[in-house]
Amino acid sequence: MTKKSDIPFSDDASKYFVPWMSMLMVFIATLILSGALVAYSSIQTWTRNISGSLTIQIPTFDLNGKDRQEAVKTDIETAVTILVTTRGVLGASVLSDEQMNSLMAPWVGENTDISRLPLPKLIDVSVDTNNPPDLTQLKADLTEQVPSAVLDSHRLWLENLIQLATGMIKLVSVILVLLILSTAFTIIYATRTSLLVHQPVIALIHMMGANDFYISIQYAIRSFKQTLLGSVIGFIATLPIMSGFSYFLNEVTEDFVFNTALTYEQWLILLSVPVIAAVLSFLTTFKTVSLYLKRFL
Amino acid sequence: MKETSKLSSPIAEFNGVSFRYETGPDVLKDIQFQLQPGSFHFMTGESGAGKTSLLSLMYLDNLPTKGRVRLFGQAVDTLSRKEKARFRRQIGVVFQDFRLLSHLNAFDNVALPLRIAGTKESEIRRHVSELLAWVGLEKQLRAYPAELSGGEQQRVAIARAVINRPQLLLADEPTGNVDDTMAKRLLYLFLELNKLGTTVVIATHNQNLIKYFGFPRLHLSKGHLELLGTSNNKYVDLATKLLNRGEQ
Repeated sequence: MTKKSDIPFSDDASKYFVPWMSMLMVFIATLILSGALVAYSSIQTWTRNISGSLTIQIPTFDLNGKDRQEAVKTDIETAVTILVTTRGVLGASVLSDEQMNSLMAPWVGENTDISRLPLPKLIDVSVDTNNPPDLTQLKADLTEQVPSAVLDSHRLWLENLIQLATGMIKLVSVILVLLILSTAFTIIYATRTSLLVHQPVIALIHMMGANDFYISIQYAIRSFKQTLLGSVIGFIATLPIMSGFSYFLNEVTEDFVFNTALTYEQWLILLSVPVIAAVLSFLTTFKTVSLYLKRFL
Repeated sequence: MKETSKLSSPIAEFNGVSFRYETGPDVLKDIQFQLQPGSFHFMTGESGAGKTSLLSLMYLDNLPTKGRVRLFGQAVDTLSRKEKARFRRQIGVVFQDFRLLSHLNAFDNVALPLRIAGTKESEIRRHVSELLAWVGLEKQLRAYPAELSGGEQQRVAIARAVINRPQLLLADEPTGNVDDTMAKRLLYLFLELNKLGTTVVIATHNQNLIKYFGFPRLHLSKGHLELLGTSNNKYVDLATKLLNRGEQ
């Protein structure tokens, strides 16, 4: 003969409420957490890019539009000398005409003679990320010896993006905390409602010698199962959306802007969401029932 | 199966106990009595005399508003929650309104005290089936309370109260819905338990049973208790002999 639960949970209105609520909460939590993880990965990549490379621009025309081809050659040599003697710089190379052509091709097409355009000469500088150069000092040295040189560390535009992504992660953290709190309060409410509905049965079982653990664990296990069911469905429902969003980001932006490929560890973090929700539900329910029993029985 | 109780102190001891519900009048006044291990008492009194209230103090559902109740040698007002739960597992109660769980069938209702006590399922299956057969419900194992007659529900309630071989059995009108033949049969079940050392208190209005078995009576009248009758009858003597044999 199969053992039925002592408490008639099948009569309970919350048997639908808790799974639906869990499904919705986990759906939202997983989506925003995956967004935060993409933002975090992107920040890592951007930070690496910032500290991993620099570009020095040497203008080929002065502000009056006068060609300074002769000066450019000297400026490049001086700048490269400064760069290679700077601590933290691994190497410096001037971009060739072919490299400039391929760099400009997306904007001007492949058959344009870019030598007729007033483009600066570019020096690509590799930087030791573990021991980065002092950019302020480097800029001062260049300004002193090569006044026309412009140091571009990509920092300006990327810093704004990083700030935006960091703000997004903070916002996600706040939303996650609010989701956890609202889930916990909802479970407390549903559990207390169920306790009131089943009060006569609980009082009878209690009178027969059931201790608080015996009753609380039945509620907690039931809550764990309901939440896990809803959470798994909610998690699965996010997969096509995450996949679609990743595809969209890759289509509309270049790879270097958003790093949408989640790592193994990040997938583990996402997979832990339904489990954490179920465990949270278990603990909240157990505590709620224990407190109720101590107070009323 | 539990061993026969070898406690020498009273199973229950009431000293100057009064009880009232919230701000109402006292329903029990200055109650004073002891239940010795292995004793068998009827509890009598008119409706509203306080029988159910007195029983509720004995199964720890209420605490006295005045005086002291001791169970199994310990004052109940000093018990921790864990101790109370342990004490309750040693007390079997048959309620006047049965209080069967409607979502459980007869088998699971009777098995409930054993499951609470953590008994193995194989033992539960054996004991519950045997006991339900003994009370004539072997064909109704899977029947839900709503499918049982009043008398059958009462027998399930009694089986549930005795399945755990409690040290103290309290029954509130346990034979109210059965005929005299079944009432006697159920009383013999209580007597069998009593022979094994269970202290029994049965609240009843059934004068035939009281006369037939002749156990002493705890009689309640307007909240006051008096002990009527003696234990000089064949059943009590038999129970006492068996109890003494168990103690040796």
